[in-house]
Amino acid sequence: MLTMNLSFFDQFSSPSLLGIPLILISMTFPALLLPSPGNRWITSRLSTLQLWFINLVTKQLMMPLHKKGHKWALILTSLMIFLLLINLLGLLPYTFTPTTQLSMNLALAFPLWLATLLTGLRNQPSASLAHLLPEGTPTPLIPALIMIETTSLLIRPLALGVRLTANLTAGHLLIQLISTATMALFSTMPVVSLLTLLVLLLLTILEVAVAMIQAYVFVLLLSLYLQENI
Amino acid sequence: MPQLNPNPWFFIMLTSWLTFSLIIQPKLLTFITMNPPYNKPPMTPKTTPWSWPWT
Repeated sequence: MLTMNLSFFDQFSSPSLLGIPLILISMTFPALLLPSPGNRWITSRLSTLQLWFINLVTKQLMMPLHKKGHKWALILTSLMIFLLLINLLGLLPYTFTPTTQLSMNLALAFPLWLATLLTGLRNQPSASLAHLLPEGTPTPLIPALIMIETTSLLIRPLALGVRLTANLTAGHLLIQLISTATMALFSTMPVVSLLTLLVLLLLTILEVAVAMIQAYVFVLLLSLYLQENI
Repeated sequence: MPQLNPNPWFFIMLTSWLTFSLIIQPKLLTFITMNPPYNKPPMTPKTTPWSWPWT
């Protein structure tokens, strides 16, 4: 019984076939879903939709930033599209979601957060350090508050990576658990099994929403960290 | 938890940045926005006649 519970985590081990890591396929496949538009003035429907979406995301992310921050447009928009596609593709049956891997999320979060921090410290060092003390704090609280703010600053990349990992892992785990329950109940209590199936459908809709929201939150928080520092 | 297995960590970190920077970003760079269409400002046509140089 204990081994059956622990085997639910097996879906998150990085798959490999004959020693070839298959995570390569999971990570390069989203690029196949983004056809490059040709030289025509009016392209296909998919290209038009993609272009509309990219413009929407870029405008949304770049609006709070002034001109100097606009050089981050490509990296933030492409990160958003990348994470969105990976998360959504992972909801298909039998697919592997690379963003359930803590290694990938930390690898994306840590350098980007560090880049925003170093940009701030390099261009406006006193303004960046001033963020560590909120305005209007009573004087005796200042040392404690600076330590708290520094901790919250340093924990940002960890929070960014672990948030995405935990949300997606929990979602996939729930889906697997409830579908196992549905199948196990089917022979003995079919009505309960159907109710569990209904719960599974609602959960899948929730997971689609979570996949999109988590990708957006990741990129949004990075842009917020950028706003403070640029 | 298999995500905490340090064995594929470096490989996953490397491949995620490589696909992100070498595949996704150039693909998105090829998306060029068109200028939105707008009506030309109404111009009254010039009606000054000119004399044809009939030879």
